[in-house]
Amino acid sequence: MTPAVKVENLNFSFNAGSPVLSAVTFEVPEGECLGLIGPNGAGKSTLLLHLNGILPEKKSGRPSVFIFGEPVADEGIENIRRAVGFLFQNPDDQLFCPTVYEDVAFGPKQFGMPDSHIGEIVTDALAKVGLRGFERRSPHHLSLGEKQRVCLAGILASQPKILVLDEPTSDLDPRGKRELIHLLQSIPTTKIIASHDLELIVHLCSRTLVLDNGSIVAQGGTREILSDEQLMLAHGLEKPHILQHIHPHPRT
Amino acid sequence: MHIPDGFLDTKTVIATSALSVAGVAVALRHFKAEDQPRKIPLLGLTAAFVFASQMLNFPVAGGTSGHLIGAVLTAILLGPSAAVIVITSVLVVQCFLFADGGVSALGANVFNMALVAPLVGYAIYAAMHKVYSGIRGTIVAASFASWCSAVIASVCCTGELALSGTVPWSTAFVAMTGVHALIGIGEGLITALVLAALHATRPELLRAEDESGRPGDAKTFVLYGLLVVIGLLLFVVPFASPLPDGLERVAKDLGFDYTAAKHPALPAPFGAYRFPGIAGGAASAVVSGIVGVVAVFALSVGLSFVLFPRGGKTVQQKP
Amino acid sequence: MHRLSAGAKMSGALLLIGAIITVPLRFGWFFLLAFGGLITAARVSRVPARFLVRRLLFLEPFVAGVAVLSLLREGGWIVFAGIVVRSTLSLATILLLTNTTSFSTMLEVLRKLRISPTFITILALMYRYLFVLVDEMERMQRARMSRSFTKGDRRLWRLLSTTIGELFVRSSERAERIYAAMCARGWQ
Repeated sequence: MTPAVKVENLNFSFNAGSPVLSAVTFEVPEGECLGLIGPNGAGKSTLLLHLNGILPEKKSGRPSVFIFGEPVADEGIENIRRAVGFLFQNPDDQLFCPTVYEDVAFGPKQFGMPDSHIGEIVTDALAKVGLRGFERRSPHHLSLGEKQRVCLAGILASQPKILVLDEPTSDLDPRGKRELIHLLQSIPTTKIIASHDLELIVHLCSRTLVLDNGSIVAQGGTREILSDEQLMLAHGLEKPHILQHIHPHPRT
Repeated sequence: MHIPDGFLDTKTVIATSALSVAGVAVALRHFKAEDQPRKIPLLGLTAAFVFASQMLNFPVAGGTSGHLIGAVLTAILLGPSAAVIVITSVLVVQCFLFADGGVSALGANVFNMALVAPLVGYAIYAAMHKVYSGIRGTIVAASFASWCSAVIASVCCTGELALSGTVPWSTAFVAMTGVHALIGIGEGLITALVLAALHATRPELLRAEDESGRPGDAKTFVLYGLLVVIGLLLFVVPFASPLPDGLERVAKDLGFDYTAAKHPALPAPFGAYRFPGIAGGAASAVVSGIVGVVAVFALSVGLSFVLFPRGGKTVQQKP
Repeated sequence: MHRLSAGAKMSGALLLIGAIITVPLRFGWFFLLAFGGLITAARVSRVPARFLVRRLLFLEPFVAGVAVLSLLREGGWIVFAGIVVRSTLSLATILLLTNTTSFSTMLEVLRKLRISPTFITILALMYRYLFVLVDEMERMQRARMSRSFTKGDRRLWRLLSTTIGELFVRSSERAERIYAAMCARGWQ
């Protein structure tokens, strides 16, 4: 079975500076939800940006990233970008159209979906994220959680095979967080989530990678990795409270 | 300096609209040819930035306040064609969203603030910077060029209003140019301070000068020059100098009535631009103009020394 | 009024303004008609009258100053009256247009007219981030002002220029991120 994502010996540095990513190697089978954790500056965002080809800016030499077997290279990059839906950290950077409708329709339009279908696609995508009827709204007046969900709708509208999320719950209030977790749980697509929010990782991800200083220092089942207090502290993290208790929590 | 509807007559609206449509078209073509699509978000955001910056008022002598146009600053940061597009976007949004500036006057406003201001300003900047390079040279060139852009834009504005028969040239010229000579000082000062601040924190954002000089540029330069010169010939030159009778007749036949606009029924009440001891209004106006320009130039040089007393050798900081 | 197509509203407004500025003043009945028409349109589209009147009475110093200069001309009073009538009616027309049509629908009309897509994208982005940047600027101003204790003009200029400089830096960084987001969603 071709893995959804295969990263083989990925090395990267910005403009001949010091290396930001060193020999990163891992695989993500289809349907899995993988967590990516690590201290600030570990290179999580940089790694994620390699998955849809935003980085490196000039792709030359052997490709190190493969999406469903296809190399991430200049040729065929549109297919890669269609297959990989990327949710950026700050929704304001990603919600760049004057209305919600136009923004959700942006991806489908760019990928050549026929105009007659676009209306339906947008309505479906907004319904999926619980924002029915928001088409005419202006992004400026939405709450952060709503903006986040519009961005997600915009990505889902292009029917990606893989979802990549960079710090999806930073700046969200507890309710927004809960709603996002529910939402993501209902989407069966392969997911890769980078986050400081370890509770989120425990709720959603079956496997986790720990990245520090550009290298993978651990990978394995989420509960094992996050319960390993020594490992967590060694890499600027903490064992999340949710795993501190011995008795099981009811799943919300 | 945003002209509202109703101040310009039909022929001026048509002339200014034609010139500005042509100018923006040239700018778009040049921008598409030389800059990657990567710059498009930058232009959009810079337009929003210019708009936001224009909301900041600064005090000008005597209780009035002025605000930044930002044409030369944008041209230095992004290039002249990008500046044309950016300022045009600002004016379009101001006109259609905030009713600031008339729809029929959009052509004139674009010509003054989005074409003449950045292009003439940038030309002055580039010429001065070639002679006087380094960060101090940048400051001198930028502040002086910004002042010039504000003044020249206001002169064109006055010309358009006079040509429309709305105001008499001689009085309007004195009032408008006087006010904008003062506002221009603010423009020059802010432009210089912003560039100095950027030089200290993010020197890489100051465009490298060696980007111009590629083949496409010569044609664009000529087209821009042509448009600006035509505009000046239509709106400014006839007022500033006596046209030979024959040419004036022709102009009148075409509907450009300069004579009526030049001579008001009442004598000009403002004697402020008269130099003592020099007879003749035109001569004293020219002398006052020259003195003003030299004074601003001197101020620019002074400013550069205040900001960079040690010549400002760029200290490369590790990112 | 809100339900008319944007194209109809925009061309109607443009034609009206075109007429307002070209019709010679002696056809006084035209201007009265236009005035009546605009009032009716305002009532029909339920734009609050008080808002309109307040905006119209807000004459910029420029307008007032230039208008006053016109009085110095031969036959100045007529010119002055003409200016006031024309600019007020045109302003009312534009205000009605902007209050019944959203900016993005206006952009859609421009797109149909085959105006340069690059330019329209730039306008759309500018519009989207206008208020974001204005908010950011106000926050920066407040933060800076609460940190400085000396008063006076020098502080003001310094404050102004550092705010503007910082705003530019943030804008260009944000532009880079937006570019990345646009590419990620297939833009080229």
